[in-house]
Amino acid sequence: MVVEQQLLPYFQWLLTGGENSLGALPSFFFVFLGVAMAALVIGFAIAASRYGILRGGDVTYKTVSEGLSELLQTAPRRVWAIARLAIKESMRRRVAVALGVFFLVLLFANWFLSTNHQEPARLYLSFVLTASTYLVLGVALLLSAFSLPNDFKTKTIYTVVTKPVRAGEIILGRIIGFTIVITGLLAIMGVGSYIFVVRSLDHSHTVELESFQVVTGPAGEDAGKKGTTSRDAGHRHELTLDAEGNGETTVENGHTHAIESIGENKYRVSPPLGFIRARVPQYGKLRFIDRSGAAKDTGISVGSEWTYRSFIDGNTPATAIWTFDNVSDAVDPKPPEAERSLPLSLIVRVFKTHKGVIGQALQGTIQLRNPESQLTSEPLPFDAQDQQVDDIDIPRKLLSQSRQEIDLFKDLVSKDGKIEVLVKCLDRGQYFGFAQADCYIRHPDGSPIASFAKVCVSIWVQAVIVVSVGVTISTLVSGPVAMLFVVGFIILGFWRQDFVDIATGKSYGGGPAESVVRIATQANVMVQLEDTLLNNLVSGFDKYFAKPIMWAVAQTLPDFRSFSTVRYAADGYNVPWDRVFQDVTVCLGYVIGLSILGYFLLRTREVAK
Amino acid sequence: MSEEIILQTRALSKVYRDFWGRQKVRALKGLDLEVRRGEVFGLLGPNGSGKTTTIKLLLGLLFPTEGEALVFGKPASDVAKNERLGYLPEESYLYRFLTADETLDFYGRLFDMPSDVRRQRIDELIEMVGLQKARKRQLQEYSKGMTRRIGLAQALINDPELIMLDEPTSGLDPIGTREMKDMILRLKDEGKTIVMCSHLLADVQDVCDRIAILHQGELKELGRVDELLKVADVTQIRAKNLSVDCQQELRDVISRHHGELVSLDNPTTTLEELFLDIVRDSEARPGRRAGVK
Repeated sequence: MVVEQQLLPYFQWLLTGGENSLGALPSFFFVFLGVAMAALVIGFAIAASRYGILRGGDVTYKTVSEGLSELLQTAPRRVWAIARLAIKESMRRRVAVALGVFFLVLLFANWFLSTNHQEPARLYLSFVLTASTYLVLGVALLLSAFSLPNDFKTKTIYTVVTKPVRAGEIILGRIIGFTIVITGLLAIMGVGSYIFVVRSLDHSHTVELESFQVVTGPAGEDAGKKGTTSRDAGHRHELTLDAEGNGETTVENGHTHAIESIGENKYRVSPPLGFIRARVPQYGKLRFIDRSGAAKDTGISVGSEWTYRSFIDGNTPATAIWTFDNVSDAVDPKPPEAERSLPLSLIVRVFKTHKGVIGQALQGTIQLRNPESQLTSEPLPFDAQDQQVDDIDIPRKLLSQSRQEIDLFKDLVSKDGKIEVLVKCLDRGQYFGFAQADCYIRHPDGSPIASFAKVCVSIWVQAVIVVSVGVTISTLVSGPVAMLFVVGFIILGFWRQDFVDIATGKSYGGGPAESVVRIATQANVMVQLEDTLLNNLVSGFDKYFAKPIMWAVAQTLPDFRSFSTVRYAADGYNVPWDRVFQDVTVCLGYVIGLSILGYFLLRTREVAK
Repeated sequence: MSEEIILQTRALSKVYRDFWGRQKVRALKGLDLEVRRGEVFGLLGPNGSGKTTTIKLLLGLLFPTEGEALVFGKPASDVAKNERLGYLPEESYLYRFLTADETLDFYGRLFDMPSDVRRQRIDELIEMVGLQKARKRQLQEYSKGMTRRIGLAQALINDPELIMLDEPTSGLDPIGTREMKDMILRLKDEGKTIVMCSHLLADVQDVCDRIAILHQGELKELGRVDELLKVADVTQIRAKNLSVDCQQELRDVISRHHGELVSLDNPTTTLEELFLDIVRDSEARPGRRAGVK
């Protein structure tokens, strides 16, 4: 499941942050202040080495004061002029070739992608969105890293900076221009991708009349038919028709078909339904009860190194308990009030210690409990399918454990809108694994197209950050060096957490200098280095120099992996607006911060040689 | 020419350094200059004498190692000075994928000029530099002369008070050179201040009021062109229709007064004048051999 960390509401994320994190805005200002102070010290040191301490101080002061006043004189018309130039330059540099490559990739994609897959939509969506991400990031990298250096090389920059253009306008204009180009590219790729996925997954079946079995009602009347569809796209569906001949198929490969009678023994099977979904989950908080009945924060480990899920053992008191807030019968307001249910989705990770009964799914139960009154419903059994999203609609009318009829929303939901969902495994010696996001209340699906567009926004955010970094660093170094820098930035961004873990000493093996020693002496990360003077010096260097610098750099690195929302679309979940707003805000922070940095870098360098 | 100082350098020096900060070359040594409003000022010197470095320092493209450069009384690094300044670089460093129209529109926008003003100014300049027929063509299709002309147009887009021209006649044919010089004189008549650098002495002599001669980064001479070129101990007599006897009589007079006759012969025109006369005659009478006197 995609949401492994709690997603904070936008304004809480922006201002106050979570339990162990600062708000985004205060974080931005702290980092900004830190970078500004570092830049001031480095700038003064360089100026002092060139002009002496007094004049160096004067130069530094003037640069900062004039810079701040110039930043306020930014003219939109000049910024737009530079942006237009960047767009024209991109066109001249045949940026459209990227589109050609993209469509070429799509043309040959069907050689490697198969609709005969348990979840073909996940496969197709992951592929097209990942391909789009890499292509767009590549284009962003090439455009941004070579643009300004090329202007320096051809000296066209001379005729620009001798106009009343502020350095910040040159930076911002280029970022905006390339962003527009990338937006256009991404829009075309997004539409192309969506059409490709929908068209590739599209198929139909015919109803196999010879498979029909008549279904009779309680009074022996004709209640419809059961049968199967033809085998197409590598699968067939079971189907159930009512007395009028209308009905739908079972879910296979992540989709169903509606069936409509159009005459005697003639049926029309609809295109696939539910391939691309945008589920809107409401998550609760998970806690556990172990086999002895004691409350625990986590379940037991079955030896998996990934501790994201923990397990409960079957046929014991061990229980996974989710507590949901704000529960009412308005979760799914479509049905009449008396028929409303609580739509739950459950994902179970099954761990077997013996093979059990072949062909028979493990059994589990779901109970609902009022956290105030402790009134608990009778267990509802379910078949556990490993790693499948099981949609379970809990009916409004339930029986309590004392077999009395109770109303789900009136009796099991507390006054403050809370309800507990208890899940147990029934099979002895078998285990169910759960993470917090594995059980959720299912709100009505969002628009798959809108969710797909939001994934494209997350790709856009990554590309804009790459453009901003590329343009900023290219004020200082040549095109190839700028490109290498941005590639390094992206790689560090994707592995930011590992980088932070090294900087904070969470990773084994020490810092960069110690790693060099370990490589040279062939000592693996678990081996304690000998207590020699050299090793002590190396450790000291890492501790007091390398790691603090790494930590400082990590504060400015974006977590590229967290930007990617491709898994939302691939797994069929709606991308929350909070997520989109957070990503766009982070992007804006980078654009502002890097534009200011780029301004000073360009302002303080000699344009001519 | 007014006494208002438009441009000033005070002990301006520039040392080029390598990546490690080691001195590579001292391009300019303690230059003191003043340029007044309305004059055409020439920076003269052989290649590597520091002319272009001076221009780049005045434009803020380079930072001085010592001393200061003031333009309109402000430091050269002040971007605001560029509002009143036009610059034609040695090579017209323009975006070759833009057309002439787009080029001027782009630079006009950089001056934050409103759309209607910009449009009008572009039309005027395109006509002034004679590129009406080529205004929709990309600059990569332009000849050297056309590129210089659009370069000049971009330098004038803001109707600047001060125009800096780096080797303005570089790469131009004699006609283009003459047109450029005429343009400089016309701009001077409009009250513009012009600073140009060149190593083509004739160009500088033709258009400049004052010149500074640089050599190896040092100022060697500074003053009015006519005064600098005046040879004080030589008297020049120019007359028409003198007979041989009269010429002999002049020789005798000079000799009687103990003067030394340097030369007494018929003057020659300049090659530039001869070339231009031939071209004009050829244009007036196409297909016939020019008969220049």
